[in-house]
Amino acid sequence: METRIRPNLMLFGCSIILLLYGFTRSAASLPPIDSLFGVSPEDASYYKGLSSASAIKCKDGSKKFNKSQFNDDFCDCPDGTDEPGTSACPNGKFYCKNAGHAPVVLYSSRVNDGICDCCDGSDEYDGKTICPNTCWEAGKVAREKLKKKIATYQEGVTIRRQEIEKAKLSISKEEAELQKLKEEEKILNGLVEKLKERKEQIEKAEEHERLQKEKEEKERKEAQATKDDDTKAEDTEPTPKDIHDDIGLVDQPPQDSAEDNHGSSSEPELGDHSIEDERSNDVAGEQDGSIQNTKHLGEDSTSHGKDGLDSGNQVRFKDPNDSDSLSNMFVSYRYDSSSSQRHESDDELDFSDITGTSSSSWLDKIQQRVKSIFQAVNIFQKPVNVSEAAQVRKEYDESSSKLSKIQSRISHLKQKLKEDFGPEKEFYSFYGKCFESKQNKYVYKVCPFKQATQEEGYSTTRLGSWEKFEESYRVMQFMNGDKCWNGPDRSLKVRLRCGLKNELTDVDEPSRCEYLAFLATPALCVEDKLKELQEKLESLNKDQPKGIHDEL
Amino acid sequence: MGRHLSTFLLLLLFANSVFSWKKDEFRNCNQTPFCKRARTRKPGSCSLIASDVSISDGDLVAKLIAKQSSQDVSEDQQRPTKPLVLTISAYQDGVMRMKIDEDQSLSPRKKRFEVPDVIEPGFYIKKLWLQRLKEDKDGNGPISVVYLSEEYEAVIRHDPFEVFVRESGENGKKVLSLNSHGLFDFEQLREKEEGEEWGENFRSHTDKRPYGSQSISFDVSFYEADFVYGIPEHATSLALNPTRGPGIEFSEPYRLFNLDVFEYVHDSPFGLYGSIPFMISHGKSRGSSGFFWLNAAEMQIDVLGTGWNDENSSVLMLPSDQKRVDTLWMSEAGVVDAFFFVGPWPKDVVRQYTSVTGAPAMPQLFATAYHQCRWNYRDEEDVFNVDAKFDEHDIPYDVLWLDIEHTDGKKYFTWDRMLFPNPEEMQKKLAGKGRRMVTIVDPHIKRDDSYYIHKEASEKGYYVRDSTGKDFDGWCWPGSSSYLDMLNPEIRSWWAEKFSYENYVGSTPSLYIWNDMNEPSVFNGPEVTMPRDALHYGDAEHRELHNAYGYYFHMATANGLVKRSDGKDRPFVLSRAFFPGSQRYGAVWTGDNTADWDQLRVSVPMLLTLGLTGISFSGADVGGFFGNPDTELLVRWYQLGAYYPFFRAHAHHDTKRREPWLFGERNTEIIKESIRVRYMLLPYYYTLFRQANVSGVPVIRPLWMEFPSDEKTFSNDEAFMVGNSILVQGIFTERAKHVDVYLPGDELWYDMKTGAAYKGGVTHKLEALEESIPSFQRAGTIIPRKDRTRRSSTQMENDPYTLVIALNSSKAAEGELYVDDGKSFEFQQGAYIHLRFTFSNGKLTSTNMASATAGSRKFASRCTIERIIVVGLSPDPKTALVEPGNHKADVERGPLLLRGGPARSSVLTIRKPNVNIADDWTIAIL
Repeated sequence: METRIRPNLMLFGCSIILLLYGFTRSAASLPPIDSLFGVSPEDASYYKGLSSASAIKCKDGSKKFNKSQFNDDFCDCPDGTDEPGTSACPNGKFYCKNAGHAPVVLYSSRVNDGICDCCDGSDEYDGKTICPNTCWEAGKVAREKLKKKIATYQEGVTIRRQEIEKAKLSISKEEAELQKLKEEEKILNGLVEKLKERKEQIEKAEEHERLQKEKEEKERKEAQATKDDDTKAEDTEPTPKDIHDDIGLVDQPPQDSAEDNHGSSSEPELGDHSIEDERSNDVAGEQDGSIQNTKHLGEDSTSHGKDGLDSGNQVRFKDPNDSDSLSNMFVSYRYDSSSSQRHESDDELDFSDITGTSSSSWLDKIQQRVKSIFQAVNIFQKPVNVSEAAQVRKEYDESSSKLSKIQSRISHLKQKLKEDFGPEKEFYSFYGKCFESKQNKYVYKVCPFKQATQEEGYSTTRLGSWEKFEESYRVMQFMNGDKCWNGPDRSLKVRLRCGLKNELTDVDEPSRCEYLAFLATPALCVEDKLKELQEKLESLNKDQPKGIHDEL
Repeated sequence: MGRHLSTFLLLLLFANSVFSWKKDEFRNCNQTPFCKRARTRKPGSCSLIASDVSISDGDLVAKLIAKQSSQDVSEDQQRPTKPLVLTISAYQDGVMRMKIDEDQSLSPRKKRFEVPDVIEPGFYIKKLWLQRLKEDKDGNGPISVVYLSEEYEAVIRHDPFEVFVRESGENGKKVLSLNSHGLFDFEQLREKEEGEEWGENFRSHTDKRPYGSQSISFDVSFYEADFVYGIPEHATSLALNPTRGPGIEFSEPYRLFNLDVFEYVHDSPFGLYGSIPFMISHGKSRGSSGFFWLNAAEMQIDVLGTGWNDENSSVLMLPSDQKRVDTLWMSEAGVVDAFFFVGPWPKDVVRQYTSVTGAPAMPQLFATAYHQCRWNYRDEEDVFNVDAKFDEHDIPYDVLWLDIEHTDGKKYFTWDRMLFPNPEEMQKKLAGKGRRMVTIVDPHIKRDDSYYIHKEASEKGYYVRDSTGKDFDGWCWPGSSSYLDMLNPEIRSWWAEKFSYENYVGSTPSLYIWNDMNEPSVFNGPEVTMPRDALHYGDAEHRELHNAYGYYFHMATANGLVKRSDGKDRPFVLSRAFFPGSQRYGAVWTGDNTADWDQLRVSVPMLLTLGLTGISFSGADVGGFFGNPDTELLVRWYQLGAYYPFFRAHAHHDTKRREPWLFGERNTEIIKESIRVRYMLLPYYYTLFRQANVSGVPVIRPLWMEFPSDEKTFSNDEAFMVGNSILVQGIFTERAKHVDVYLPGDELWYDMKTGAAYKGGVTHKLEALEESIPSFQRAGTIIPRKDRTRRSSTQMENDPYTLVIALNSSKAAEGELYVDDGKSFEFQQGAYIHLRFTFSNGKLTSTNMASATAGSRKFASRCTIERIIVVGLSPDPKTALVEPGNHKADVERGPLLLRGGPARSSVLTIRKPNVNIADDWTIAIL
């Protein structure tokens, strides 16, 4: 629809096309007479009182004008009220009907400027530029596009609704879980304190006993050189130290697999299953005795195979105090080749079962066990009952590690629930997810609520840390990324738009070190917008000019 | 800890090196032997006398020989000197030319360099054939006098030699003189003596100086002068402060040496990108005079403060009754080729100067509108987005610029096809809205054998050579680069061909050119430029023509654009480096300024100075190139920049985006309004560009150019005149509450927004408004406007005009309107309309000054005048009678400006007179 001003016409400057628009009009570029030319339908009523006899006010109240001054190509009202159909007022607006397509309101500066702006050509009427009516074709294309958009929205709205439902459910579960965990933490804390006290008493007693023994031994050695059967027998007993060693493994989380997650195809890391699995293990294996059970706490499932007692249970454990493994634990990635996003495995749901209906029977059991230990173990008994002492230690280790797991879970949940997931929690599912887009040599990775990066080969540049949503949840802002040489800290804005999948596209750097990306997501497929689009389509269909329509 | 400390130290270093002017990289006078030597010479030390004074071929000629009986034999005079040849010629309109060179008949070692292709060819035909030499005497001995004009004569005193222009007649007052203080010195070329070392070192660079010292220095005095102005380019005040004299802090002389100065400071005599050795004086009692030294070597100029020479005054023969400004001119090489301009008014001096160096080219209309630039609009999508945003906000603009990143590896004339796959399509798309594009083409050529320009240039031997004769290889944007020898006309012609549509692949008729880095900038060269001992065409040394290098490049590029259109389309080429004559080839801007308030302020004297020295079409980067302007500064810059002759926003690569719509709705509105003011005034500006094209008088002018007798204006460089009708006062401080505006003359001034009247001859303390800076229309003037702003100036072509008549105390006013096709050269054949509007006795008369027989071509226009606003008339008339046609037009009250909200003003408006600008007519107010 490119129209160029013909040079021969330009030579004549303000050439006239009086012939086309009647001889009665005095100037060259007057609009068609006897109409509210250039006035939008919503505005038409404003001009009701306009007649050659009576004047009406400019909308800004600055002046009055009568019918002969209306669209006479002279600006009487600075706001353009009197010249909707000409370019006379610099602040005016021109309405083109564009039958067959969508009506458009233009700046008055577009009227008779030699460029076809309205598809019906109504903005160019001075005859210097001939604008063909392209509304039907353009309208058709636009309607098709609109229909497609509506279809996307329709589907998107459904997905969004489901997501919101899921999010709300998850959040309430997590809130309940958090509540529960807090209570458990309190109880467990008490138990751990008690066990610790008891353990220390036992250790004191043992130490005392050991010194006693050494002394006795010495005396015995001095007394008689033979008779060493008893001591041998003692050495073969499993010592508390062994158990300690096992527990010591706790400090070495299976980092290797967690790190592999940065690769493209690692399996979901199921670290979070540990608590749940372990607990059911506890419950299931109670009659097997707690020694074996606790042993597994420190076992990497691949490293030990010596006991068949709990085969089938994959029990893993990571040190919750290690911040690296904390993030590995909750943000484990699985690359989904079908889309451009990486997301966390859905182990959150498994975790939430902790607070399920079976509730904390495990806690009751621990409590009972501890109680029975306290009843059974007489610390003043000498010598200390070895198995009982071990049991205390074991209970202590188990409980305190459970406690720290619970605490880390609590802090994780607290942090998560603090986030702003949107007015309807529509962005809940973004938590722990990352979206990727490859552009030329760079891979851009956007992790909502966390950070955004630009990767080139092995080098990673931080584009920013999560800041907040902006512009009524249409933009995600990441700030304070790596500093640019001689420039600002990097930052990224991610503009959200409705789409059926979460998909990151078009990363751009409009200003140096200020990045801009687009993310399609169902979260933006809002019903109001859908309705608006549908109404638009309806009005487009309604406005179709009959004649042209039939022709086609 | 250690690591943090070192990081901290690094940051400190970084801050020091990046954010300040690297003073040490550049030479000062003391590090420049010829400057140091000349500055320490004693007045009266010149021992040359004029002998053999005669008339030859219509010129006065004389020999300058060393005085035999000289008693004080100073060091310089121990060597026997050959006589020098002095020639004085007279030209029409009070221009005297004086040349001093070695005597060619005595076969000097080398012909000293004279700058070619600067003097306007038309100047030579203005020569007066001197016939008669009047031998005379005054109180100081014998003199020879020749005719210069009706009122002035040229005089040479014999012993000691002195040349001056004086008012005609015995005891006529001196206007300008040379060597009145006996500081003249001319180091003649000679053979190197044994054991002599001629090389000079600066930092890591050695200048071999194979011809030794060849500098020239002399004093020039301007009589009846209160101030001197001119000699750009320096970031300093309009009225030049003295650099030496009692009570003056030590200062460098004003340096003229074209340099790419990184982050230049806002108040310094240090040389910047261009050089024009032309100084203009002005004083209340007599008016103005001018002095121009056509010399392209490094120059240093001292302005000497009153009393600088008190100790020697007794030995000199200077008239004590005349007020005077003395100056000292020093150049490293070349000859004396000096022009004396008698004035007597500022506009006369400028006209006289441009009769020598050429009048400013008439730009295309689009070039006088708003330009949007940034380093860099990255790709086609970026270009289209920016373009669309202007339309979305209804902000007009005419030209979108592409900086160096658009090229393939900084090889000019190529495109980065990843970013710009379809440059022709892109240009056409913008051209569809009447918009142009500009791409950058710099003089450094990438040394890459696959680059056709380099291949051809190196094969043909078109590069500047280093002192050993090899192609000079320096470092610039593309890395290793060579520089075309633009002194050679053949190379210029070859270069011009590169702009044809066939040769410049991806160019279209709507593409124009930007010449940057043409000082030339050489990143690894001495003072970031080319070594002085590099060799040019005709074995000229770079030192001899350095300041003109960028000029020749600009010239070749502009000629290329003319050629590509078969001479039909006026070129547009922006250049950073400049020299006398650059005004004939295009626009100039003040280079890489910085986003701070001081640089906003200094842009005014810098542009006024350029205008005074012929370069009318100039601008400063709106917003400031380096750094991020805060919003208020950016807005103020737009408000001021809208009045610059060349109006372009530009920004460094590392700065934040700053297109007009990025600072909130309110600021977008204010910026938009300032751009629209420029578009509204385009008919007025275009008329001023034509005035400059005809007379050399610049588009923006110091107040004293319009009010030469009003002393209060002489050092005012915060306000300026746009033409003779508009006064603009900048606001240069943050959160200004008030602004003081001095309105000169004794007529009223009308606020251009409100129509409110202000008295002349008074400093008014005005409220500083957020939405605009103060601008006033002078009573007695008529300004043509186009109130309908479009997407670009192209669409305004057919729009009707508004005339704003501001009546003076005699209820009279006058103004002009010049219109042509806005792009071709047909105006040179008479295809234009040049209206003169006069209002007196209640009647407005329009007459076309373009004489009917002036040329072979005619320009036709059907544009009408839709509105005539009259301020300063009372009581309100009821109607107006238009003749011919005898029809009546309504007269009513209306706003002075249609934009800017509900009417803030109510002024007398003649509604729809609808007279055609091509016709003669009158409108009588009844």
